[in-house]
Amino acid sequence: MTLTMHSSLLLMLFILVYPLSTTLSPSQQNSNMAKMTKVAVSSAFFVSLLPLMVFLNMKTEGIITNWQWMNTQTFDINVSFKFDHYSLIFVPIALYVTWSILEFALWYMHSDPNIDRFFKYLLTFLVAMIILVTANNMFQLFIGWEGVGIMSFMLIGWWYGRTDANTAALQAVIYNRVGDIGLIMTMAWLATNLNSWEIQQIFALSKNFNMTVPLMGLTLAATGKSAQFGLHPWLPSAMEGPTPVSALLHSSTMVVAGIFLLIRLHPLMENNKLALTACLCLGALTSLFTAACALTQNDIKKIVAFSTSSQLGLMMVTIGLNQPQLAFLHICTHAFFKAMLFLCSGSIIHSLNNEQDIRKMGGLFNMMPTTSTCFTIGSLALTGTPFLAGFFSKDAIIEALNTSYLNAWALTLTLIATSFTAVYSFRLVYFVLMGAPRFPPLTPINENNPLVINSIKRLAWGSIIAGLIITQNFLTTKTPVMTMPTTLKMAALAVTITGLLVATEMANVASKQVKITPMTSTHHFSNMLGFFPTTTHRLLPKLNLTLGQSAATQLDKTWLETIGPKGLALTQTTMSKTTNDITRGMIKTYLTIFILTLILATAPALL
Amino acid sequence: MSAAECQRGKMAALRAGLLTRALTKGKTPAISNIILGTRAASGPSKDTLPGAYPRSPEEMAAAAKKYNMTLEDYKPYPNDGMGYGDYPMLPERSQQERDPWYQWDHPDLRRNWGEPMHWDFDMYIRNRVDTSPSPVEWRTMRNQLLGFVGFMLLMFGLGEMFPCYQPVAPKQYPYSDLYLERGGDPAKEPEPVKNYEI
Repeated sequence: MTLTMHSSLLLMLFILVYPLSTTLSPSQQNSNMAKMTKVAVSSAFFVSLLPLMVFLNMKTEGIITNWQWMNTQTFDINVSFKFDHYSLIFVPIALYVTWSILEFALWYMHSDPNIDRFFKYLLTFLVAMIILVTANNMFQLFIGWEGVGIMSFMLIGWWYGRTDANTAALQAVIYNRVGDIGLIMTMAWLATNLNSWEIQQIFALSKNFNMTVPLMGLTLAATGKSAQFGLHPWLPSAMEGPTPVSALLHSSTMVVAGIFLLIRLHPLMENNKLALTACLCLGALTSLFTAACALTQNDIKKIVAFSTSSQLGLMMVTIGLNQPQLAFLHICTHAFFKAMLFLCSGSIIHSLNNEQDIRKMGGLFNMMPTTSTCFTIGSLALTGTPFLAGFFSKDAIIEALNTSYLNAWALTLTLIATSFTAVYSFRLVYFVLMGAPRFPPLTPINENNPLVINSIKRLAWGSIIAGLIITQNFLTTKTPVMTMPTTLKMAALAVTITGLLVATEMANVASKQVKITPMTSTHHFSNMLGFFPTTTHRLLPKLNLTLGQSAATQLDKTWLETIGPKGLALTQTTMSKTTNDITRGMIKTYLTIFILTLILATAPALL
Repeated sequence: MSAAECQRGKMAALRAGLLTRALTKGKTPAISNIILGTRAASGPSKDTLPGAYPRSPEEMAAAAKKYNMTLEDYKPYPNDGMGYGDYPMLPERSQQERDPWYQWDHPDLRRNWGEPMHWDFDMYIRNRVDTSPSPVEWRTMRNQLLGFVGFMLLMFGLGEMFPCYQPVAPKQYPYSDLYLERGGDPAKEPEPVKNYEI
């Protein structure tokens, strides 16, 4: 059985790497690379189901150490893959979602001359993500971590002629880098204190240590990668990239890497109250803040991006509750419906001739039935409608919240964020699908392409049944609290329905003028994203760059260069230039004068 | 050198100086220029490079012309020893504020060829600092953001002091808390244990 698992997993990796290797050959005429990539990912998905079935049947987990890579007397770095509960479930889900997204991208990016390069980037990203998820040591995880960060940069800046896209890509890289400081600090701490980067060894040796420092580093890393409050602005800016990029990276896979890191290393956090409280509070704040920002946005992709950020905050809250398996369940179910929401948005955007403003959409329910149905299913799953995918994870998280001993404000914020989820989801459905059309009549609106329809339908199936399948087949290691008062049990549903009612009331009121002038301060706060990007992106770069400029001019250029060597050189060259100008290079004249002087001087002696 | 050769050298230099002066366009004939002459071109000359702080109106006019600006627009940095020289002090405005729809020579930089560059031009490109006006004043933005974060930190602190949890009591087993099963004396009467009332 280990052999089956081992060989199928390596086969899956090989299938994914093969299309990348075809791009290395110089002759690229009539290449079918985009289609080949999609087929490769779908076959890798089916192959990866085999180890999953083996795991389901026998609960076998595997650690495969392939290669001793950099080993010294005191420190070992090997290439080792860990196939446990988390990676064995995540990899098929990631491959399924990527398969649908690649099929969608075949239609969406059809007119792009560099579509092969696009698919190459997406595939490189996928390979890096799988390396991250299956890593058994911190070094390999770091390789995957940086890989997904760089591919995110290149894919956000896909349309590099657009300066806003470049700025967004730079934002993504810089914010991720700040998080990487935490990860590198943790790796350094682990290397110096535990003398190992292998996960098993870390778990075994960490019992006697105070793990606060590395755990804070890991929390910082997750803050950067998973866009928690403080390092969150890059995620809405990342919507500058094409929609398949938003669907794959910035909703399902890359942004969950930070949460995944915390899930992987959760045994380190179980006993550290400070780290757990930090995760809980940070997650709750993120969840509420980004949900509040989503309420007033007008770009369809930005609303879905803030929704992603809010759900990531919820996952962070779950980790703070000491429930990594619930967080992982939410990662898996969230991947399906969020990717589907993005694909539906992409279908709508292209159909309306690249219109992304929801104020200029409307009435799409009759004109794009499949897309709007799946959009509604995705929104319902997102809000936690009973028995769709999101319900199993979200409701379980809220129940765990209600029955735990935790910070009361974190609980309040998370419940408010859950109701906001219903509000902005309804707002999105109301503006995009309902009512009368607000776009020009001549639009290429159609759903004729099977590439779009099949991919969206596949994800719709996932959004409906994935939660049920995963919860039915995988038992939790921590016993959930089964008994609680009815109020607490129904809390998630009650809060969501409240949000929905508030949203419908506001939709009614918004078309009438009830006050002479509206109160704009809260609207401004929400619409300008809490003023966070406007203040930090203007203040911090200005301070840093002015500091850098004055350091370069005053310290480097003046005190180190001009006072010393360069000033001396300048004096020398000025003097030599002046001397050179005086002499004027009249060689023949000088020689003549010299000879004449010599003759005149020696003439009396000769004579 | 004899006097005749001295004279000959001076004559040559004078001729060379007059020749170069004739070739160059109307520069002020300084003594040094006649003796030393003008060197062949080897890069931007002293006149086109940024120079010292302009003190007289003629120097201001020359500097304005050098930087391709009108005399009214030209305003140098104050002469406080920071090394700016005669470089113009342009308004601190980022490239993001310029008209996005105008047909600039360099559309990505929103700049035309020959335009005077700001001293901190590399800071004001569109990828970096943005000075465009915001709908809300800076003070309001800062206060609201810091107020929000401060309020959240305060409330989280309060939440830590007054946490939220479900009420829990010790389990109350039947048969007087399992008195006999736990090895209690059958002859003695056990005390009733009531952790809670149903």
